[in-house]
Amino acid sequence: MKFLRAAGREVVGLFVGDWLQSGVVVVILAAGWFAVSRLGAPALVLLVLLLAGQLVWFARAEAKRSG
Amino acid sequence: MGQQLFIFGAAFLGSAVESTEALTIVLAVGLTRGWRAPLMGTLVAIVLLAILVIVFGQLIVTTVPEWALKLLVGTLLLLFGLRWLHKAVLRSAGAVAMHDEERAYQETVNQLGETVTRRDWIGFILALKGVFLEGLEVVFIVIAVGGTGHGWPAAIAGGLAAAVVVAATGVVVRKPLARVPENTLKYAVGILLTSLGTFWAAEGMGASWPGDFLSIFVLAGVFFAASRLAVTLIRTPALA
Repeated sequence: MKFLRAAGREVVGLFVGDWLQSGVVVVILAAGWFAVSRLGAPALVLLVLLLAGQLVWFARAEAKRSG
Repeated sequence: MGQQLFIFGAAFLGSAVESTEALTIVLAVGLTRGWRAPLMGTLVAIVLLAILVIVFGQLIVTTVPEWALKLLVGTLLLLFGLRWLHKAVLRSAGAVAMHDEERAYQETVNQLGETVTRRDWIGFILALKGVFLEGLEVVFIVIAVGGTGHGWPAAIAGGLAAAVVVAATGVVVRKPLARVPENTLKYAVGILLTSLGTFWAAEGMGASWPGDFLSIFVLAGVFFAASRLAVTLIRTPALA
């Protein structure tokens, strides 16, 4: 049972380090889906910039917390 | 051809990192308690992982529509890649300590030293757990990288090649592979997986990328630039 719990934690941990960050990524993708269906390819630029932006934001935030 | 090479490379590099971590555990157990139990544990873990790949791989490919598969796998791959990239940025900036295989090896040896009088199944369980849990990441990388875009053979070949190369190196040197530039590899693979995940997730949404597969290289450039910006901002707080 302990082993299964560890395996379960490991699987979730593959994708989620910070629940807030993962939530933001999913929201960006959902917004991207909506935008792509309305605007087509130009929406991809916004999607990529938002994903890159959240990487910078959350990395800085964690560095500040740990520093 | 370019796409297959990309998939092989991503699966190989990602799997090599995780295989190195698994090898560190097996070496620590084998060199302190003898090889029989850890090798059996490793074998059982590999069989369990192979069953997972076959069952889930078949299930995913045969039951999920392609657009949904791309969206789901792309999203998971993006989350997975961003986790690695996030850690790599913090390590590059010096905010988090670098992963050290020699220290991980020593910690496992110390842990074993405390329990050396117990029965030998501890060595079996430790190797099984280590190889299975690290192997789960390899399985995910292989399934995610190969599961869309008809890249299964290239992804499986990449994962297997990495496991064979790391295992063979481990047999030859009989020491933790401390010289594998794990942090750099994780940085590169994080960028590759994040780019691939973004590409597939957007295709699952119904978007068509300009230049098709070549746009992955542009995505990789954008995520690399963002990660360097993050490193610079963390290192020089005055800019933030």
